[in-house]
Amino acid sequence: MLKNKKKILVIGAAGGLARILSGLLSKDMPDCEIIGVDSRDLNDLPKKSNITYHQMRYTRGNFEKIFRDNEFYAVYHLARMSHAHSNKTSLTQRLDLNIMGTSRILELCLKFEVRKVLILSTYHVYGALSDNPTFIKEDAPLRASIKHPELRDVTEMDQLATNWMWKNQHKIETIVLRPCSIVGPQIKNSMSQYLTTSYVPVGIDFNPMFQFIHEFDMANILARCLDEVPTGIYNVAPDEVISIREAKKTVGIPFFSFPIMALSPLASTFKKLWNFPDYLLEYIKFGCIIDNSEIKKHLKDDALRFTTKEALELLKLR
Amino acid sequence: MKTREKKAPLNTRQKRSKDLGKVYPLPIYALNYYNLLHMLDKLKKSISLKTSSEEKKKFDQVFSKLFDQYGKSEDPWGLNIHKAKKSIEYVWPLYNNYFKVRVFGKENVEDTPYMIISNHTGQIAIDGMLISTAFAMDVDPPRILRAMVERFFTGLPFIGAWAAEGGAVLGDRQNCVKLLERNQSVLIFPEGVKGIAKSTPDYYKVQSFTRGFFRIALSSKAPILPVAVVGAEETFPYVYQAKGLAKLLGLPALPISPNYFPLPSPIDIYIGKPYEIPEGLSADSPDKDIDKHIFELENIVQTMINDGLKKRREFWGNVKK
Repeated sequence: MLKNKKKILVIGAAGGLARILSGLLSKDMPDCEIIGVDSRDLNDLPKKSNITYHQMRYTRGNFEKIFRDNEFYAVYHLARMSHAHSNKTSLTQRLDLNIMGTSRILELCLKFEVRKVLILSTYHVYGALSDNPTFIKEDAPLRASIKHPELRDVTEMDQLATNWMWKNQHKIETIVLRPCSIVGPQIKNSMSQYLTTSYVPVGIDFNPMFQFIHEFDMANILARCLDEVPTGIYNVAPDEVISIREAKKTVGIPFFSFPIMALSPLASTFKKLWNFPDYLLEYIKFGCIIDNSEIKKHLKDDALRFTTKEALELLKLR
Repeated sequence: MKTREKKAPLNTRQKRSKDLGKVYPLPIYALNYYNLLHMLDKLKKSISLKTSSEEKKKFDQVFSKLFDQYGKSEDPWGLNIHKAKKSIEYVWPLYNNYFKVRVFGKENVEDTPYMIISNHTGQIAIDGMLISTAFAMDVDPPRILRAMVERFFTGLPFIGAWAAEGGAVLGDRQNCVKLLERNQSVLIFPEGVKGIAKSTPDYYKVQSFTRGFFRIALSSKAPILPVAVVGAEETFPYVYQAKGLAKLLGLPALPISPNYFPLPSPIDIYIGKPYEIPEGLSADSPDKDIDKHIFELENIVQTMINDGLKKRREFWGNVKK
């Protein structure tokens, strides 16, 4: 797959997706050296001969040293701080890490002449609104923070990355991926938690459509983007869609039906029982279906190994 | 010598039948429990909200075709054929027995996707529900019309989800284009809210059409099928639209009417001949080139309504002769 590419940096290496990606890159490119960086504990990560891990904050000075000491061919930025375990009080921290951190990573990539940067954003940037068209394209406005200002970091990080991408397109190849809900046994995002938690409410008044991609398929697409996808913004999603109620039924974990419109006032109480950010209530009310045609121009149809049904059924393994 | 017969005490059924025979003044009649039940029973029988076994067989036949056409899983807009079938089973008695819908011009419909445009009538958009039922149950080959609904509609709890499961989609250009690309027929009310939110003096006057639908038709090359609905205005015969107050309250319309439940006005649906998309025009053509076709379509629908009004059935609430 890759012959002359010596070193690849994976930022956010302790995350479930980064873990699978590092494994895939290590297997597909045995001659390559993969360096994983994360501020979280890295002891549980799988040990491979061509993977090394460094525990550090990527906003600190020694992060630059990694760039100075290694001539990276590519950098994967998978370190966006999720809202899954956060609340409004940590908005400042998220803004700092997601926006200032991303800005710093991009500066370093340019300074140390990295050939390719791959940034993982999310479909949440489009926002879940009642007037969303189905199959939102990459050039659609990012409206996530209209209703929920706490999503500002997500949209600003995406915009920062895309503006930087076009500005520096002649110097560095940059790919911004906006995947749909990634689910899998190793992923701990809000949607996976919602799907695998027993006795959580599922709307009787709203039943939006969803796209789910299995964590392995997402990691595989990230790996393939290195060689097969040029500079640009890409939505990543399967062709299949499923309503949230059907998805919950497919996972096979008991739930109760409840009007979502009555849930918002109760959200603070429910948050104590299960970690579900306020903004995600909008996503279980209104659909946000993304158009995958751009990435399909570059990746073949066999990009996905798991169907939506299989991806959801595999969640039971958690 | 006549012996005086002692009357046996009446049982409940006898009491009830005795009560039924009496003629009470109206308020006393209404207060009589058994008579009230009798009235409701008569009303229920006259409307007959039950579906017969033949009708159930018809649902199965139609939906076996629709399952093949649309698949058994949900589509990206939320259409769920299983739930659409259930909805039509509920709507059918209203369609058939309450509004006594007649469909004319079925022969104009071919096995091809159409952009169906119709006048918007009836204050609460029952016209969309009835046209969709007609194209699923009374038109061959059957199809689920993808009705383009107003933006506020998709945000309504329960109703929005129910409508989406039955095939309704947000009235958005992108949705319309994608559905036509997938060979699905779409239902558009080009008058928009101003078509449905009319006061009684404006009933059956087609309001000006917007241009968006025609530009989509030009880009997709889908033939336009004009439809006229006659009779739905009288479901709410006397309405005054408090436009100023609606604006003040931020509502799309505020009808003031003596009845807020639709009356059983007989409804006729007229399907016109397909309007072929003109050559030499594109979706980006100037308004003046497009407007003559828009006016022509407005005239076609208005003529169909005027002809339909001459043939409509008697109903005490008919406000326009």
